[in-house]
Amino acid sequence: MKSPRRVRLDFVAPVQQARWSGVALCAAGLAAAIAVGVAFDLQLAERSRLDAALGAISAPARVPGAASVRSAEDAAAIERELSIPWSLLLAELEAASHESASTVALLQVEPDPAKHVVRITAEARSLPDALGYLERLQQSKVLRYPMLESHERKKDDPEHPVRIKLAAEWRS
Amino acid sequence: MSPLWRDEIAIYLAPRKIAVARRERGMRPQVTAATEVAVPDGHFGDLRPTMARLADLLRESTWQDATARIVVADPWARYGVVPWPSTRLDADGRLTHARYVLADAFGDGLADWAVTLADTPPGRAYVACAMPAQLRAALEDVLPPARLTLTSLQPQLVVAFNAWRHRLPADDTWFVSLDDGSLSAVHLARGAWDRVHMARLSTDWMVELERLQAFGRLTRAAGATSRMFVDAPIWMRHNAAPPSADLEWLDPGTSEGASSHELALLQRVYA
Repeated sequence: MKSPRRVRLDFVAPVQQARWSGVALCAAGLAAAIAVGVAFDLQLAERSRLDAALGAISAPARVPGAASVRSAEDAAAIERELSIPWSLLLAELEAASHESASTVALLQVEPDPAKHVVRITAEARSLPDALGYLERLQQSKVLRYPMLESHERKKDDPEHPVRIKLAAEWRS
Repeated sequence: MSPLWRDEIAIYLAPRKIAVARRERGMRPQVTAATEVAVPDGHFGDLRPTMARLADLLRESTWQDATARIVVADPWARYGVVPWPSTRLDADGRLTHARYVLADAFGDGLADWAVTLADTPPGRAYVACAMPAQLRAALEDVLPPARLTLTSLQPQLVVAFNAWRHRLPADDTWFVSLDDGSLSAVHLARGAWDRVHMARLSTDWMVELERLQAFGRLTRAAGATSRMFVDAPIWMRHNAAPPSADLEWLDPGTSEGASSHELALLQRVYA
Protein backbone atom coordinates (compact mmCIF):
# COMPACT_ATOMS: atom_id res chain seq x y z
CA MET A 1 0.00 0.00 0.00
CA LYS A 2 1.40 3.39 -0.97
CA SER A 3 1.39 5.86 1.91
CA PRO A 4 0.20 9.44 1.61
CA ARG A 5 2.89 12.06 1.19
CA ARG A 6 4.46 13.60 4.30
CA VAL A 7 3.23 17.12 5.02
CA ARG A 8 6.23 19.42 5.52
CA LEU A 9 4.83 22.35 7.41
CA ASP A 10 6.65 24.20 10.15
CA PHE A 11 6.40 27.75 11.46
CA VAL A 12 10.06 27.95 12.44
CA ALA A 13 12.00 26.03 9.84
CA PRO A 14 9.52 24.92 7.20
CA VAL A 15 11.46 24.85 3.99
CA GLN A 16 14.80 26.22 5.04
CA GLN A 17 15.97 22.86 6.35
CA ALA A 18 15.38 21.27 2.98
CA ARG A 19 17.09 24.22 1.31
CA TRP A 20 20.11 23.98 3.58
CA SER A 21 20.38 20.28 3.01
CA GLY A 22 20.03 20.94 -0.71
CA VAL A 23 22.75 23.58 -0.59
CA ALA A 24 24.96 21.24 1.42
CA LEU A 25 24.34 18.43 -1.06
CA CYS A 26 25.07 20.77 -3.96
CA ALA A 27 28.29 21.95 -2.29
CA ALA A 28 29.32 18.36 -1.62
CA GLY A 29 28.61 17.45 -5.24
CA LEU A 30 30.58 20.45 -6.47
CA ALA A 31 33.49 19.59 -4.18
CA ALA A 32 33.41 15.99 -5.39
CA ALA A 33 33.36 17.14 -9.02
CA ILE A 34 36.33 19.45 -8.41
CA ALA A 35 38.18 16.66 -6.61
CA VAL A 36 37.54 14.28 -9.51
CA GLY A 37 38.67 16.96 -11.97
CA VAL A 38 41.89 17.63 -10.06
CA ALA A 39 42.57 13.90 -9.71
CA PHE A 40 41.94 13.45 -13.45
CA ASP A 41 44.30 16.31 -14.26
CA LEU A 42 47.00 14.82 -12.02
CA GLN A 43 46.57 11.44 -13.67
CA LEU A 44 46.86 13.04 -17.12
CA ALA A 45 50.06 14.81 -16.09
CA GLU A 46 51.42 11.57 -14.67
CA ARG A 47 50.57 9.72 -17.87
CA SER A 48 52.29 12.38 -19.97
CA ARG A 49 55.35 12.15 -17.76
CA LEU A 50 55.45 8.36 -18.06
CA ASP A 51 54.95 8.55 -21.84
CA ALA A 52 57.86 10.95 -22.11
CA ALA A 53 60.06 8.70 -19.95
CA LEU A 54 59.08 5.66 -22.01
CA GLY A 55 59.87 7.51 -25.24
CA ALA A 56 63.30 8.44 -23.92
CA ILE A 57 64.02 4.82 -23.05
CA SER A 58 62.84 3.19 -26.32
CA ALA A 59 64.19 5.75 -28.79
CA PRO A 60 67.39 7.35 -27.51
CA ALA A 61 68.52 10.30 -29.54
CA ARG A 62 71.65 9.25 -31.46
CA VAL A 63 73.76 11.31 -33.91
CA PRO A 64 74.84 9.11 -36.81
CA GLY A 65 78.64 9.04 -37.29
CA ALA A 66 80.60 9.07 -40.54
CA ALA A 67 81.31 5.35 -40.34
CA SER A 68 77.67 4.48 -39.95
CA VAL A 69 76.75 6.72 -42.91
CA ARG A 70 79.31 4.96 -45.08
CA SER A 71 78.11 1.62 -43.88
CA ALA A 72 74.54 2.56 -44.78
CA GLU A 73 75.63 3.61 -48.31
CA ASP A 74 77.48 0.32 -48.79
CA ALA A 75 74.44 -1.58 -47.63
CA ALA A 76 72.26 0.33 -50.08
CA ALA A 77 74.68 -0.43 -52.95
CA ILE A 78 74.70 -4.12 -52.10
CA GLU A 79 70.93 -4.10 -51.94
CA ARG A 80 70.76 -2.50 -55.42
CA GLU A 81 73.21 -5.13 -56.79
CA LEU A 82 71.16 -7.93 -55.36
CA SER A 83 68.01 -6.48 -56.81
CA ILE A 84 69.22 -7.01 -60.46
CA PRO A 85 67.10 -9.78 -62.06
CA TRP A 86 70.09 -11.62 -63.48
CA SER A 87 68.35 -14.89 -64.25
CA LEU A 88 65.54 -13.29 -66.22
CA LEU A 89 67.90 -10.90 -68.01
CA LEU A 90 70.37 -13.55 -69.14
CA ALA A 91 67.61 -15.97 -70.15
CA GLU A 92 66.05 -13.24 -72.30
CA LEU A 93 69.34 -12.33 -73.99
CA GLU A 94 70.09 -16.02 -74.64
CA ALA A 95 66.66 -16.56 -76.16
CA ALA A 96 67.14 -13.49 -78.40
CA SER A 97 70.49 -14.83 -79.65
CA HIS A 98 68.92 -18.21 -80.48
CA GLU A 99 66.07 -16.60 -82.36
CA SER A 100 68.57 -14.56 -84.38
CA ALA A 101 69.87 -17.86 -85.80
CA SER A 102 73.27 -17.28 -84.28
CA THR A 103 73.94 -14.25 -86.46
CA VAL A 104 74.54 -12.17 -83.35
CA ALA A 105 77.22 -12.92 -80.76
CA LEU A 106 76.89 -11.41 -77.32
CA LEU A 107 80.18 -9.98 -76.14
CA GLN A 108 79.47 -8.03 -72.96
CA VAL A 109 76.62 -7.34 -70.56
CA GLU A 110 77.23 -4.47 -68.15
CA PRO A 111 74.51 -3.49 -65.67
CA ASP A 112 74.27 -0.07 -64.01
CA PRO A 113 72.24 -0.82 -60.85
CA ALA A 114 71.95 2.83 -59.87
CA LYS A 115 70.14 3.69 -63.13
CA HIS A 116 68.46 0.31 -63.73
CA VAL A 117 70.18 0.26 -67.11
CA VAL A 118 71.96 -2.62 -68.80
CA ARG A 119 74.51 -2.01 -71.59
CA ILE A 120 74.95 -4.76 -74.12
CA THR A 121 77.83 -5.16 -76.56
CA ALA A 122 77.38 -7.65 -79.41
CA GLU A 123 78.64 -8.47 -82.93
CA ALA A 124 76.36 -9.20 -85.87
CA ARG A 125 77.19 -10.45 -89.33
CA SER A 126 75.46 -7.50 -90.90
CA LEU A 127 73.62 -4.35 -89.94
CA PRO A 128 70.16 -5.84 -90.75
CA ASP A 129 70.98 -8.73 -88.41
CA ALA A 130 71.89 -6.21 -85.72
CA LEU A 131 68.66 -4.30 -86.23
CA GLY A 132 66.66 -7.56 -86.12
CA TYR A 133 68.30 -8.35 -82.83
CA LEU A 134 67.33 -4.91 -81.55
CA GLU A 135 63.70 -5.42 -82.65
CA ARG A 136 63.68 -8.77 -80.88
CA LEU A 137 64.85 -7.14 -77.68
CA GLN A 138 62.21 -4.45 -78.00
CA GLN A 139 59.55 -7.19 -77.71
CA SER A 140 61.04 -8.45 -74.46
CA LYS A 141 59.00 -8.19 -71.23
CA VAL A 142 62.15 -7.95 -69.13
CA LEU A 143 63.67 -4.99 -70.99
CA ARG A 144 62.23 -1.56 -71.55
CA TYR A 145 63.23 1.03 -74.20
CA PRO A 146 66.11 -0.90 -75.87
CA MET A 147 68.12 1.61 -77.97
CA LEU A 148 71.02 1.34 -80.33
CA GLU A 149 73.76 3.58 -78.97
CA SER A 150 76.41 2.90 -81.60
CA HIS A 151 77.43 0.52 -84.39
CA GLU A 152 80.79 0.01 -86.02
CA ARG A 153 81.93 -2.29 -88.82
CA LYS A 154 85.13 -4.10 -87.84
CA LYS A 155 87.34 -3.69 -90.89
CA ASP A 156 90.23 -5.44 -89.30
CA ASP A 157 88.19 -8.63 -89.07
CA PRO A 158 88.19 -10.75 -92.27
CA GLU A 159 84.38 -11.22 -92.09
CA HIS A 160 83.76 -7.53 -91.42
CA PRO A 161 81.20 -8.03 -88.58
CA VAL A 162 79.19 -5.10 -87.17
CA ARG A 163 79.86 -4.33 -83.51
CA ILE A 164 76.79 -2.77 -81.79
CA LYS A 165 76.26 -1.25 -78.39
CA LEU A 166 72.71 -1.28 -76.98
CA ALA A 167 71.26 0.16 -73.83
CA ALA A 168 67.98 -0.82 -72.15
CA GLU A 169 66.27 -0.43 -68.81
CA TRP A 170 65.22 -3.54 -67.01
CA ARG A 171 61.88 -3.92 -65.37
CA SER A 172 62.08 -4.56 -61.64
CA MET B 1 28.42 20.36 22.74
CA SER B 2 27.70 20.47 19.00
CA PRO B 3 24.19 21.78 18.18
CA LEU B 4 23.68 18.61 16.15
CA TRP B 5 24.08 16.52 19.30
CA ARG B 6 22.26 18.78 21.67
CA ASP B 7 19.37 17.21 23.61
CA GLU B 8 15.90 18.06 22.39
CA ILE B 9 12.84 19.01 24.42
CA ALA B 10 9.52 18.23 22.72
CA ILE B 11 6.64 20.26 24.13
CA TYR B 12 2.94 19.76 23.49
CA LEU B 13 0.92 22.89 24.18
CA ALA B 14 -2.87 22.75 24.55
CA PRO B 15 -5.30 25.17 26.23
CA ARG B 16 -5.69 22.91 29.27
CA LYS B 17 -2.65 20.67 29.14
CA ILE B 18 1.12 20.69 28.63
CA ALA B 19 3.23 17.62 27.96
CA VAL B 20 7.02 17.64 27.85
CA ALA B 21 9.59 15.00 26.87
CA ARG B 22 13.37 15.21 26.83
CA ARG B 23 15.15 13.30 24.11
CA GLU B 24 18.80 12.55 24.44
CA ARG B 25 20.65 12.79 21.12
CA GLY B 26 23.60 10.75 19.98
CA MET B 27 24.03 7.49 18.17
CA ARG B 28 20.96 6.00 19.85
CA PRO B 29 18.48 8.78 20.66
CA GLN B 30 16.06 8.00 23.46
CA VAL B 31 13.50 9.73 25.65
CA THR B 32 15.06 10.20 29.08
CA ALA B 33 12.30 12.15 30.86
CA ALA B 34 8.63 12.90 30.22
CA THR B 35 5.81 14.54 32.12
CA GLU B 36 2.50 16.29 31.64
CA VAL B 37 0.77 18.98 33.64
CA ALA B 38 -2.72 20.42 33.60
CA VAL B 39 -3.49 24.09 33.10
CA PRO B 40 -6.48 24.48 35.38
CA ASP B 41 -7.53 27.95 34.29
CA GLY B 42 -6.62 27.53 30.61
CA HIS B 43 -9.08 28.03 27.77
CA PHE B 44 -9.10 28.39 23.99
CA GLY B 45 -9.25 32.13 23.86
CA ASP B 46 -6.28 32.95 26.10
CA LEU B 47 -2.69 31.81 25.72
CA ARG B 48 -1.42 33.40 28.91
CA PRO B 49 -2.33 30.67 31.44
CA THR B 50 -0.67 28.01 29.31
CA MET B 51 2.44 30.12 28.78
CA ALA B 52 2.67 30.94 32.48
CA ARG B 53 2.41 27.25 33.36
CA LEU B 54 5.06 26.42 30.75
CA ALA B 55 7.40 29.04 32.20
CA ASP B 56 6.96 27.44 35.64
CA LEU B 57 7.67 24.00 34.26
CA LEU B 58 10.81 25.09 32.46
CA ARG B 59 12.38 26.28 35.68
CA GLU B 60 13.27 22.64 36.36
CA SER B 61 16.75 21.80 35.11
CA THR B 62 15.39 18.64 33.47
CA TRP B 63 13.77 20.81 30.82
CA GLN B 64 16.61 23.22 30.22
CA ASP B 65 19.59 23.60 27.92
CA ALA B 66 18.37 21.92 24.74
CA THR B 67 16.70 22.62 21.44
CA ALA B 68 12.93 22.94 21.63
CA ARG B 69 10.39 21.38 19.34
CA ILE B 70 6.84 22.58 19.95
CA VAL B 71 3.61 20.85 18.96
CA VAL B 72 0.59 23.12 19.24
CA ALA B 73 -2.86 21.67 19.87
CA ASP B 74 -5.37 22.08 17.07
CA PRO B 75 -7.67 24.53 18.90
CA TRP B 76 -4.89 27.08 18.27
CA ALA B 77 -4.50 26.23 14.61
CA ARG B 78 -6.55 26.75 11.47
CA TYR B 79 -6.00 24.80 8.28
CA GLY B 80 -6.85 25.34 4.68
CA VAL B 81 -6.12 23.61 1.40
CA VAL B 82 -5.13 26.25 -1.12
CA PRO B 83 -5.41 25.48 -4.84
CA TRP B 84 -2.33 26.11 -6.91
CA PRO B 85 -2.77 29.62 -8.35
CA SER B 86 -3.49 29.95 -12.05
CA THR B 87 -0.98 32.79 -12.31
CA ARG B 88 2.65 32.60 -11.31
CA LEU B 89 3.17 33.88 -7.76
CA ASP B 90 6.28 34.37 -5.68
CA ALA B 91 6.48 33.26 -2.03
CA ASP B 92 4.81 36.43 -0.72
CA GLY B 93 2.08 36.17 -3.34
CA ARG B 94 1.34 32.57 -2.38
CA LEU B 95 1.19 33.57 1.27
CA THR B 96 -1.27 36.37 0.49
CA HIS B 97 -3.32 33.94 -1.56
CA ALA B 98 -3.36 31.49 1.37
CA ARG B 99 -4.42 34.27 3.78
CA TYR B 100 -7.30 35.07 1.47
CA VAL B 101 -8.42 31.41 1.37
CA LEU B 102 -8.15 31.08 5.18
CA ALA B 103 -10.02 34.35 5.76
CA ASP B 104 -12.72 33.13 3.40
CA ALA B 105 -13.12 29.99 5.52
CA PHE B 106 -12.62 31.35 9.05
CA GLY B 107 -13.37 35.07 8.82
CA ASP B 108 -11.29 38.16 9.43
CA GLY B 109 -10.32 37.02 12.94
CA LEU B 110 -7.20 35.47 11.42
CA ALA B 111 -5.91 38.82 10.14
CA ASP B 112 -3.17 39.02 12.77
CA TRP B 113 -2.37 35.30 12.83
CA ALA B 114 0.87 33.90 11.44
CA VAL B 115 0.43 31.81 8.32
CA THR B 116 2.77 29.23 6.86
CA LEU B 117 2.58 26.90 3.89
CA ALA B 118 3.52 23.28 3.43
CA ASP B 119 6.44 22.55 1.16
CA THR B 120 4.62 21.14 -1.86
CA PRO B 121 5.68 20.35 -5.41
CA PRO B 122 4.59 22.99 -7.95
CA GLY B 123 1.20 22.57 -9.53
CA ARG B 124 -0.43 20.85 -6.56
CA ALA B 125 -2.79 22.24 -3.95
CA TYR B 126 -0.91 23.01 -0.76
CA VAL B 127 -1.76 23.01 2.91
CA ALA B 128 -1.81 26.35 4.72
CA CYS B 129 -1.90 26.74 8.47
CA ALA B 130 -2.52 29.75 10.69
CA MET B 131 -1.59 30.19 14.35
CA PRO B 132 -1.93 33.16 16.69
CA ALA B 133 1.09 35.40 16.16
CA GLN B 134 1.24 35.96 19.94
CA LEU B 135 1.98 32.27 20.42
CA ARG B 136 5.37 32.52 18.69
CA ALA B 137 6.13 35.78 20.47
CA ALA B 138 5.21 34.25 23.85
CA LEU B 139 7.42 31.24 23.19
CA GLU B 140 10.34 33.52 22.35
CA ASP B 141 9.85 35.08 25.79
CA VAL B 142 9.52 31.81 27.70
CA LEU B 143 12.16 29.60 26.10
CA PRO B 144 15.42 31.63 26.29
CA PRO B 145 15.53 31.80 30.13
CA ALA B 146 15.60 27.99 30.12
CA ARG B 147 18.37 28.04 27.48
CA LEU B 148 16.02 26.45 24.98
CA THR B 149 16.37 27.21 21.28
CA LEU B 150 13.20 26.97 19.24
CA THR B 151 13.85 24.78 16.19
CA SER B 152 10.36 23.64 15.23
CA LEU B 153 6.77 24.79 15.71
CA GLN B 154 4.14 22.52 14.21
CA PRO B 155 0.41 22.02 14.64
CA GLN B 156 -0.90 18.81 16.15
CA LEU B 157 -2.77 17.60 13.07
CA VAL B 158 0.36 17.72 10.90
CA VAL B 159 2.46 15.88 13.49
CA ALA B 160 -0.22 13.23 14.05
CA PHE B 161 -0.77 12.77 10.32
CA ASN B 162 2.94 12.36 9.62
CA ALA B 163 3.19 9.86 12.47
CA TRP B 164 0.31 7.73 11.19
CA ARG B 165 0.51 8.24 7.44
CA HIS B 166 2.21 4.87 6.87
CA ARG B 167 -1.00 3.23 8.16
CA LEU B 168 -3.30 5.22 5.87
CA PRO B 169 -4.48 4.43 2.35
CA ALA B 170 -3.44 7.18 -0.04
CA ASP B 171 -6.85 7.68 -1.61
CA ASP B 172 -10.36 8.52 -0.39
CA THR B 173 -9.57 8.32 3.30
CA TRP B 174 -10.41 10.45 6.33
CA PHE B 175 -7.77 10.90 9.00
CA VAL B 176 -9.24 12.22 12.23
CA SER B 177 -7.25 13.57 15.16
CA LEU B 178 -9.25 13.83 18.37
CA ASP B 179 -8.25 15.46 21.59
CA ASP B 180 -9.81 16.97 24.63
CA GLY B 181 -12.25 19.45 23.16
CA SER B 182 -11.27 19.40 19.50
CA LEU B 183 -11.62 17.37 16.34
CA SER B 184 -9.56 17.82 13.18
CA ALA B 185 -10.16 15.75 10.10
CA VAL B 186 -8.28 15.54 6.84
CA HIS B 187 -9.56 13.95 3.67
CA LEU B 188 -6.93 12.34 1.44
CA ALA B 189 -7.12 12.05 -2.29
CA ARG B 190 -4.23 10.69 -4.36
CA GLY B 191 -1.90 10.81 -1.39
CA ALA B 192 -2.47 14.47 -0.53
CA TRP B 193 -4.82 16.55 1.60
CA ASP B 194 -7.83 17.83 -0.32
CA ARG B 195 -10.17 18.87 2.53
CA VAL B 196 -9.77 19.81 6.19
CA HIS B 197 -12.61 19.87 8.69
CA MET B 198 -12.29 21.25 12.23
CA ALA B 199 -14.73 21.31 15.12
CA ARG B 200 -14.81 21.98 18.81
CA LEU B 201 -16.11 18.97 20.66
CA SER B 202 -18.92 18.94 23.08
CA THR B 203 -18.97 16.34 25.83
CA ASP B 204 -20.77 14.05 23.42
CA TRP B 205 -17.93 14.01 20.89
CA MET B 206 -19.24 10.84 19.23
CA VAL B 207 -22.00 13.00 17.80
CA GLU B 208 -19.37 15.07 16.01
CA LEU B 209 -17.69 11.95 14.71
CA GLU B 210 -20.99 10.57 13.42
CA ARG B 211 -21.67 13.93 11.87
CA LEU B 212 -18.31 13.77 10.10
CA GLN B 213 -19.06 10.24 8.89
CA ALA B 214 -22.38 11.41 7.52
CA PHE B 215 -20.65 14.36 5.88
CA GLY B 216 -18.15 11.99 4.30
CA ARG B 217 -20.89 9.74 2.98
CA LEU B 218 -22.75 12.69 1.49
CA THR B 219 -19.74 14.19 -0.24
CA ARG B 220 -18.04 11.10 -1.58
CA ALA B 221 -18.48 10.00 -5.17
CA ALA B 222 -20.99 7.32 -6.04
CA GLY B 223 -19.52 3.88 -5.46
CA ALA B 224 -16.60 5.20 -3.38
CA THR B 225 -16.00 3.60 0.00
CA SER B 226 -14.02 6.14 2.00
CA ARG B 227 -12.79 4.91 5.38
CA MET B 228 -12.13 6.91 8.51
CA PHE B 229 -8.99 6.39 10.61
CA VAL B 230 -9.16 7.97 14.05
CA ASP B 231 -6.27 8.92 16.33
CA ALA B 232 -7.69 9.51 19.81
CA PRO B 233 -6.71 9.20 23.48
CA ILE B 234 -7.30 5.79 25.02
CA TRP B 235 -10.11 7.02 27.27
CA MET B 236 -12.03 8.21 24.21
CA ARG B 237 -11.54 4.92 22.44
CA HIS B 238 -12.91 3.00 25.43
CA ASN B 239 -16.14 4.94 25.30
CA ALA B 240 -16.44 4.80 21.53
CA ALA B 241 -18.17 2.47 19.17
CA PRO B 242 -16.28 -0.67 18.12
CA PRO B 243 -14.35 -0.63 14.83
CA SER B 244 -16.50 -1.01 11.74
CA ALA B 245 -16.02 -1.18 8.01
CA ASP B 246 -16.14 2.62 7.87
CA LEU B 247 -14.13 3.48 10.97
CA GLU B 248 -10.81 2.25 12.32
CA TRP B 249 -9.14 3.34 15.57
CA LEU B 250 -5.42 3.86 15.20
CA ASP B 251 -3.87 1.83 17.99
CA PRO B 252 -0.38 2.95 19.05
CA GLY B 253 0.40 -0.52 20.44
CA THR B 254 1.30 -1.80 23.87
CA SER B 255 4.59 0.09 24.17
CA GLU B 256 2.83 3.43 24.15
CA GLY B 257 -0.31 2.28 25.89
CA ALA B 258 0.95 3.30 29.31
CA SER B 259 1.74 6.90 28.36
CA SER B 260 -0.78 9.61 27.73
CA HIS B 261 -1.98 10.46 24.26
CA GLU B 262 0.00 13.70 24.25
CA LEU B 263 3.24 12.08 25.36
CA ALA B 264 2.74 9.33 22.83
CA LEU B 265 2.31 12.02 20.21
CA LEU B 266 5.55 13.67 21.27
CA GLN B 267 7.32 10.35 20.99
CA ARG B 268 5.91 9.99 17.49
CA VAL B 269 7.12 13.45 16.52
CA TYR B 270 10.18 11.80 15.02
CA ALA B 271 8.17 9.46 12.78
